[in-house]
Amino acid sequence: MEFPSNLHPTLFMAGPLGMTDVPDLSFMCSWKDALTLPGPQNCKDRALPLAKDLLWEPSMPGPLPLLPPGPDPWDPGVTARDLLFRGGYHYRRRPQVVLDVTEQLSRFLWDHGDIAFAPLGKLMLENFKLEGGRNYSKKRTVVRVKRLLQDLGGYQPWGCPWAHVSHRLRRFSILGGPVLSRSVSLLLGKLLHEELALRWEQLLLDEAFTGGALAWLPSRTARTGQLVYPAGGALDRLYFQEVSLTSAGNPRVLKNPGHIQLRGPVRQVVTSTIQEETLLAVRSDYHCAMWKVGKPGEPAPLKVLQVEKGATGINLSPHLPGELAICSRSGAVCLWTPQDGLQLVYKDPETLAFRDPSPWRWADFTAHPRVLTVGDRTGVKMIDTQGPPGCGLLLFRCGAEASCQKGERVLLAQYLGQPDPVFPPTLHLICTQFSLYLVDERLPLVPVLKWDHGLPSAPLLARLLPPAGPSCPQPLLLGGQGGQLQLLHISGGGTSMPRLAGPPQTLPSVTDSLSTFPLLEPKHQQQLEERLQAPTIGLAAAPPWISTPILLLFQLSAAGDIFHQQLRLLPGAPLLDQTPPPSWTPQATAHCSRWLVDLLELPPSPTAWAAPTFSHRRLLGHMDLQKSEGELPQRLRVAMARGQLLRPGDLGTPPTAEPPPAPECAPQDELSERLSEAWEGRGATWWERQQGRASGSQTQAKRPKRRTQLSSTFSSLTSCLDLPDDNSPPPSPDQTSFKARLEPPGIPPSQESTQELWERGVRSERRQTLRDYMAKLPLQKDTPGPAATPPSQPSSNWVTSSQQQTPVPRGSQAPRKRQRMGF
Amino acid sequence: MPRRPSRRRCETDVSDFSEELRKPVTEDEQMETSMLSAKGMHFPWLQKQLETVVTGGKKKKDFAQTTRTCLSFIQDALLKHQWQQAAEYMHSYLQTLEDWDSYKKQAAPEISLQHALYLLHHGMLEEANRTLSQAETWRYGEKSSSQEILINLVQAYKGLLEYYAWSKKKMELSKIDEDDYAFTTKSRNMLSQSWKTSVNFCALIKTPGVWDLFVKSYVEMLEFYGDQDGAREVLTNYAYDEKFPSNPNAHIYLYNFLKREKAPRAKLISVLKILYDIVPSHTLMLEFHMLLRKSEKEEHRKLGLAVLFGVLDFAGCTKNITAWTYLAKYLKQILMVNHLSWVQEEWKSRKNWWPTFHFSHFWAKSDWKEDSDLACEKALVAGLLLGKGYRYFRYISKQDHEILRKKIKRMKKSVKKYSITNPVV
Repeated sequence: MEFPSNLHPTLFMAGPLGMTDVPDLSFMCSWKDALTLPGPQNCKDRALPLAKDLLWEPSMPGPLPLLPPGPDPWDPGVTARDLLFRGGYHYRRRPQVVLDVTEQLSRFLWDHGDIAFAPLGKLMLENFKLEGGRNYSKKRTVVRVKRLLQDLGGYQPWGCPWAHVSHRLRRFSILGGPVLSRSVSLLLGKLLHEELALRWEQLLLDEAFTGGALAWLPSRTARTGQLVYPAGGALDRLYFQEVSLTSAGNPRVLKNPGHIQLRGPVRQVVTSTIQEETLLAVRSDYHCAMWKVGKPGEPAPLKVLQVEKGATGINLSPHLPGELAICSRSGAVCLWTPQDGLQLVYKDPETLAFRDPSPWRWADFTAHPRVLTVGDRTGVKMIDTQGPPGCGLLLFRCGAEASCQKGERVLLAQYLGQPDPVFPPTLHLICTQFSLYLVDERLPLVPVLKWDHGLPSAPLLARLLPPAGPSCPQPLLLGGQGGQLQLLHISGGGTSMPRLAGPPQTLPSVTDSLSTFPLLEPKHQQQLEERLQAPTIGLAAAPPWISTPILLLFQLSAAGDIFHQQLRLLPGAPLLDQTPPPSWTPQATAHCSRWLVDLLELPPSPTAWAAPTFSHRRLLGHMDLQKSEGELPQRLRVAMARGQLLRPGDLGTPPTAEPPPAPECAPQDELSERLSEAWEGRGATWWERQQGRASGSQTQAKRPKRRTQLSSTFSSLTSCLDLPDDNSPPPSPDQTSFKARLEPPGIPPSQESTQELWERGVRSERRQTLRDYMAKLPLQKDTPGPAATPPSQPSSNWVTSSQQQTPVPRGSQAPRKRQRMGF
Repeated sequence: MPRRPSRRRCETDVSDFSEELRKPVTEDEQMETSMLSAKGMHFPWLQKQLETVVTGGKKKKDFAQTTRTCLSFIQDALLKHQWQQAAEYMHSYLQTLEDWDSYKKQAAPEISLQHALYLLHHGMLEEANRTLSQAETWRYGEKSSSQEILINLVQAYKGLLEYYAWSKKKMELSKIDEDDYAFTTKSRNMLSQSWKTSVNFCALIKTPGVWDLFVKSYVEMLEFYGDQDGAREVLTNYAYDEKFPSNPNAHIYLYNFLKREKAPRAKLISVLKILYDIVPSHTLMLEFHMLLRKSEKEEHRKLGLAVLFGVLDFAGCTKNITAWTYLAKYLKQILMVNHLSWVQEEWKSRKNWWPTFHFSHFWAKSDWKEDSDLACEKALVAGLLLGKGYRYFRYISKQDHEILRKKIKRMKKSVKKYSITNPVV
């Protein structure tokens, strides 16, 4: 193999991470220095420009769901807000992480008191007497607790400072407190703290899905392939979904996917095709399995391995069919080969470069089929599986050699060798929380490329894809657990160093797709957002074709959804910032809406814990007696019982679109009216008319039109509800029942007083609207007299065609009087 | 679209400008934020998690926050290739740069160096030289060891620029007649320049690192003026100093120099032996094999076989026809002189994976289709190592090919005679 004849200048300093007395020269091997220096012969022409125009443009603003949501509900689990202490931050310059054990403990004692206290109760049972009369026991150590329990009366509202505490309770809690609280809380507190710390660590970095659980298996025929991924609530079903790509590059899902039911959650899926033989390996928490994927798509099981301490990573050999490297939490790395079976290659419970408590281990292959890389959080080492145990060569070290920052750790190490390599098959990708490194195994410890990815979550997924064409750079996809994607363009090979061929770009993440979904009511909106924000646990891509440079990416979320997005290589040099941003197509929006409907139909996930609530169902039960009711009240009742939000659409009425309030067309100004009349010689008539209008009671002509619109909306709404006409006496039984239900129980039916009370708090402009609205309600049917219409109402021109209801114009007449009359 | 941070906000809140902004990552911050992980691991996304807990999702509005947001907008725009927008954000952000503290001022040569590199890569050599001269004279506070290295690097780059100029003159000189008057002046000029340049290179190439370009340029100048010893010393130090990373190029440069010098074979072998230990897949290994093969020492001839096997172990070399030809020829030669044990020793660690790696049925078919010459060489090796019954050999020997017929026949004969699977008589 050729070796690059000129390496980038790099300072080499051995030492710990975050060394301050060494200049940070990592920029020397980042893209800024990606060019080969101009040769001495022709300095001016050699400089290759950095390809600024290299851009894979997404065809839509965000990824789209590929398959309908699975039938299992998904719960996002604990968040930082559940785990961390919220108080006291304001006094600190910099917030500090404090686990909220106290609250969690008290909640646990409250919610699962039986579990927490039952063992203690059993132990103390002989000292307590739960029932029976006041017979004096000879034993002075027995306490009678009948009255105590009576005082407790079930339970006390939690945390309520006004809860009644009897003398007995007080005495008991003072005496028994030290015993009861210490033993329980000490034991529980310790366990709980451990659990919370574990959850918090998991929230910061969930290493289980390192490498990703989604794989693309190309078929022999072009433009088809299989997606292999876990789904189901527990991610324990391995699906094989056939996908074909249309000529436009859109994926089409073919028939029902085949699946294999496993006994544990799938954490990692790896595939490799060597000598036309496709192999598939899967890592679960304590098991690894391998299949051979035959022609008809029927996978044949090859081997199942049990990993007692828990498996942290697997990889299939890119050189020899059926060889699998497995790492265990114990620090052991094994190689399974069809010829020799399982072979322990390396074992060291300690970490490589410096002491780090993480049991995470990783292994991959190298350009030599018998040399493996072994990685942990501190570095990556190359191990000869045939050599004497224990020796090896450090390939990467978290330290000054790679200008690592303080606290920097290896999160992913991946061998980038491919069957048809563009650059020599000796490159390894190493990702940390800050940067991405390319290391050549022939030049250990010195990264040949470093790029600060700046991802806001752990980069646990990476895929190197074949180039879009000859002499094109290879796309390298980097995926964060939070769903962020970055695409890097790597070129090089032969005698030149691998380098970034253009500035890296970010790709849309799943949360960017939120804009294509219709706006929902808050509860459902939250459900959708949570679903889209589910961590990304798998990344795969259908490689670009030579004919049409289209790249199809697939993302698997922890909720079991697969999202896909299409990227096109922009031809030529686009003008600066002038390409219009992609927009949603109507098909995409329709597709998302369908997906959303399916999602919302799923049963809600069973909540592990629910706040104690007062049952409103019991209150509602009383009213079930009244059977004879209309459809509308029934729907209202159902909605109340389910705690749903009620919209006009739910009541069976299409929401009448209220026309937006038109800008108030100012009544034509008097002067210009008069002038124009006068111009035409009718000045005198106009004056007379004006006089007459003023003397009549027509001066309210300036009443804003908006009110008319509002009231007509109400009227149309009421009319749609099929309520009987206001003017038809006597009231039907339906109305009485409706009225009875609307009245709060226990309140005398003097609507007048309540009406007036709340009317006082309403601004005067709104009062009329309110009154109009109230007038529409069937409640007023009780009031004697000629319905709501005041007899003295002169403005009959306000009466709408469909209704006799009259919104009362506000004017000089005393509104109070009418109000009394109306109600 | 990200919201643009308001400029007014930035201006009015300068008094809030807190210390933590000036030092982006302070030590106590790291200690606190990584406290609960108990691993010393730093999580860049921790701060955001904490902020959501503390503020309940509300946005903080202080100056530090605004500038941080602005920086993230710049990064975002850059990664989305929205150059125009990034430039606009950058404009808003620039004012914070005015307040860099002493820590950043010390990094000024670093920034100048980056700028110079940019200019260099874009062919603006004169401008680059000017920037480097500025960086060289920059002083802030006490000169630290970190600054010293940087200054060395800056000087080395200056030296590189001088080398370019020198090598241009060398080109011109080669066109002028030696007796010309201009020749003497020019060569005198070059001499003074090379002396200056060597001073520039010297300091840096003693610092551990990868300095391929500088070393190469320096050696070329030394060689031109006949300072062979100086050149050898530079290259030997570069290759053998233990503080330096194991850089294959250091050994390659030394080997090439020794070859130019017509050094004895033993010397060349000793240099390539080290390269063989570091990069057994290198193309020079075939040259190494030829050297070893011609050597009188049996030990060397044995190593010659190991070198060939070593090359063919690697994924990137499986289709190297020269290596296969050498191996086929050498295997036959070795077996002819009855060094069966040498072959067996090499074959022992490979016999359980080479058959699948090189000699599977798939490769037989595909090699024959793509490169029948390669297939023939491989088939001979397969036959010698695995016997005439092995699938690869069988497949190729059954092929009918007009030109290769003779070759295949010879191959069959060799396998029948020398295969290591043959029962020992």
